[in-house]
Amino acid sequence: MSAPTDDFLDQILARAKDAGATAAQALTNRTRYFEIEFDHRSVDLVRSTENETTTITLFRDGKRGGATLNGRRPEEVEAAIAAAATAAEAGVADPANDIADAPSLPPGDHGPLAPDRAAMRAQVDEFLASLPARHPLLRLRDSLYTFTDQETEFANSRGLRQRERRGRHGFRAMFMAKDGPLTTSFNAVGGSAFSPFPSLYEAAGVGRLMAECERSLERRPVAGKFVGDVIVTPHCLTGLLPSIAGALAGPALLAGSSPYKDKRGERIASPLFSLDNAPRSADFAEGADFDEFGVPTRDLPIIEDGVLKDFLVGYFFSRKLGMAQTAGVRNSRVRPGETGVAEMIAGVKRGILLSRFSGGAPNDNLDFSGIAKNSFYIEDGEVRHAASETMVSGNFQQLLQDIHAVSKEVVNFGDCAYPFVAASGVTISSK
Amino acid sequence: MLERLVARAAQLPAYGELRWHANHASRIMMRKGVLLANGRSRDGGVSARLYHNGAFGFAAAPADDETSLAAVIATAKDNAEFAGGHAASGGLSTAAGSGSYDYRSKRAPLSAEQRVDIVRRLDEAIRARYPGLVNVDISLSSHASEKILANSDGAATCSFVPRAALVVSMSVAANDGIVELHDILGGFGEIEDQSFDEATLAPWLEELHENLRRKAEGGQCEAGDHDVVLDAALAGILAHEAIGHTCEADLVLAGSVAGDHLGELVASEKITLGDYGGRGPDGKSSFAIHVDDEGTPCRDVAIIENGVLKNFLHSKRTAQMLGAEPAGNARAFSFQDEPLVRMRNTCIAKGSDKLADMIGAIERGYYLKRSTNGQADATSEFMFGVNCGYEIRDGKLGRAIRDTTISGVAFDMLKSVTHVGDDFHWSAGGGWCGKKQPIAVGMGGPSIKCRITLGGRG
Repeated sequence: MSAPTDDFLDQILARAKDAGATAAQALTNRTRYFEIEFDHRSVDLVRSTENETTTITLFRDGKRGGATLNGRRPEEVEAAIAAAATAAEAGVADPANDIADAPSLPPGDHGPLAPDRAAMRAQVDEFLASLPARHPLLRLRDSLYTFTDQETEFANSRGLRQRERRGRHGFRAMFMAKDGPLTTSFNAVGGSAFSPFPSLYEAAGVGRLMAECERSLERRPVAGKFVGDVIVTPHCLTGLLPSIAGALAGPALLAGSSPYKDKRGERIASPLFSLDNAPRSADFAEGADFDEFGVPTRDLPIIEDGVLKDFLVGYFFSRKLGMAQTAGVRNSRVRPGETGVAEMIAGVKRGILLSRFSGGAPNDNLDFSGIAKNSFYIEDGEVRHAASETMVSGNFQQLLQDIHAVSKEVVNFGDCAYPFVAASGVTISSK
Repeated sequence: MLERLVARAAQLPAYGELRWHANHASRIMMRKGVLLANGRSRDGGVSARLYHNGAFGFAAAPADDETSLAAVIATAKDNAEFAGGHAASGGLSTAAGSGSYDYRSKRAPLSAEQRVDIVRRLDEAIRARYPGLVNVDISLSSHASEKILANSDGAATCSFVPRAALVVSMSVAANDGIVELHDILGGFGEIEDQSFDEATLAPWLEELHENLRRKAEGGQCEAGDHDVVLDAALAGILAHEAIGHTCEADLVLAGSVAGDHLGELVASEKITLGDYGGRGPDGKSSFAIHVDDEGTPCRDVAIIENGVLKNFLHSKRTAQMLGAEPAGNARAFSFQDEPLVRMRNTCIAKGSDKLADMIGAIERGYYLKRSTNGQADATSEFMFGVNCGYEIRDGKLGRAIRDTTISGVAFDMLKSVTHVGDDFHWSAGGGWCGKKQPIAVGMGGPSIKCRITLGGRG
């Protein structure tokens, strides 16, 4: 997207000052989006959208108010500034409320400017043409091949200016298998990358999941209730790790509800487990050069060899909690280990290959319980059968401590990257 | 705007819809007296969707002038042709909806100061009354969807549908970690229409705190299959996750097991479950819809009638594919979104049993009071989180349980229903459903006694 740099944000800051702001900031996202949606039969929708949203944050004597609008209709811009000013006036004063003072970066430019629509269409057609031969029992719905071009601009009244553009391809597949009366659970996977995916079957590890899906038609509950091992797949970690990251983040520290609040410098996980925050990583198409306060992002180890090195604290919470800012944007990477997935499975006496966790949101104590979806029962080092109506329960604090293997294989989803992680001590139960 | 859309829609080269759509939202969020969110948002624009040979082209832009409208129609046409459908699939014409459905508050708007004051006073009152709390979160939010829609069949309609919610979360330190519980007040209407006065809030907070106190003293529930009583507050999410999603026709076309059971007994004969237009059968749901985003007038859909699976939920396209009549279930979240098959007000009809009798009928099981998030599946295996519940021992309530997840295969579990309560509850604050796009839904029902699987380490 080649939107020109203009003085839109400067005008907003000037109007905010007129409205009584002692400080102000504005963040604009201009997005052009293109989507080909398909099921297992054919393309059913082509969608293209444009939008421009601007978030105005206005500070008045330590109080803060905000408003977000889209487009640039003058009357709506004025209304948003007035609403932010009114909200700030009504707010609660806090010394932590302020705009940032940080270096302005050179404009960032990442990824292609525009999609090759014909090439994307050809890839979808090729994918659909080969699907019946590769996976005859598979059914897709709401599957997407997308291109997003997003330009983000930031300005504050302290003179901080930031700008970056990211053009990225995205792929999402939602699928199940059906053979007569036999039906599997849905599974879904999505990922993004700057370049077009060489093959849609290779995007975000979807090929492995599709093959597993077809092997899941004959499912049965895991017998009885026992405490066993769990091998958490990269896809499953995308759903689980945000709960752990949330417990390490500023809001949980302010609440005092994080079990890790006093654990900096202590071992909170197996020495095999290392977690980085990597928003600047060149292979994360959904990273960011700066955060919502305009502060440049940086890559940082959070857990290193099991030891909690740093919390995930953004600009406001760093001021509120009196801590250094470590993160304004989250892009998690669990470092790969040295064990192959086959070797991990071979090491399991009794347990589950957990491909998707469908459960209630983990509580503050990081207890979890939910259904093992798209998952397989392992016994004596072999995958025995696909599991149905089987629940896994445990506690993430303990699970991190009980990790005994991390795989060499890693899946990059474009906003995070995870290996397979094997741990013990999970309660596995069925009806 | 409606006249402009109607005029343009009449000239579309194929079946299509034009929609002007704006979402208005506000949120004030306080944690331990610190105001973390205090603002509002508006996101609006126009969209066009055109149907061509079995596929759709869609385009949207954040503007509503004539030039932008012409541009999105042209882009939607290009996209429909690019979609390159080959099926000579016939037209999508159905009944055309009309009317204006404006649920804007008639009361004087609260100022920003008055809204922040609701939250600030509540925070002070909670922390004064319950000094042992580790954390208090209070969130006051509103959302309104404003639409103007016309289609090439002559549908022409406007709506403004607001909802508001007050959420309070309290946390205490138990001997094995932090224990949290939250509850929601509010529902249909704007913040001005809700009862957030002290007389309403005081007993509500007292019950929330008492449930939290008992939860902190409670323990893990025992994993496995159990007799349970689901409170009426859980019936809505059961109707939505266990049955509603499984019976969405796009999921049926993808292979949902519901497709194999139409006309069959899938539940106890005590179960009747429907998806309703308007504000539901009693006119009290947290959500209202009269014409959907394809311009179809909303009709009620009987999904399960006395245990028999009767109907699925349709868009124009799925109805065409399955030979049914759409009843107004195609809905879009924002101006940038295309209509999808969605639920509206989904609920289980109330029965005649008493809650106390249900609890009294269980020797060893659980009474589950409040839910968190939920998920459905093509197999009809559902789950939802439970953050408040109690053991039942010899027909009486026992100790509280910690957070857990319940699951079951809907078409098995619903056959285990032995009691359906004479009570009825629409989910407070209104529900949200995620399926490519988020969407506001209403969900409700009575208390139910059944057999279900619980997760847990006990």
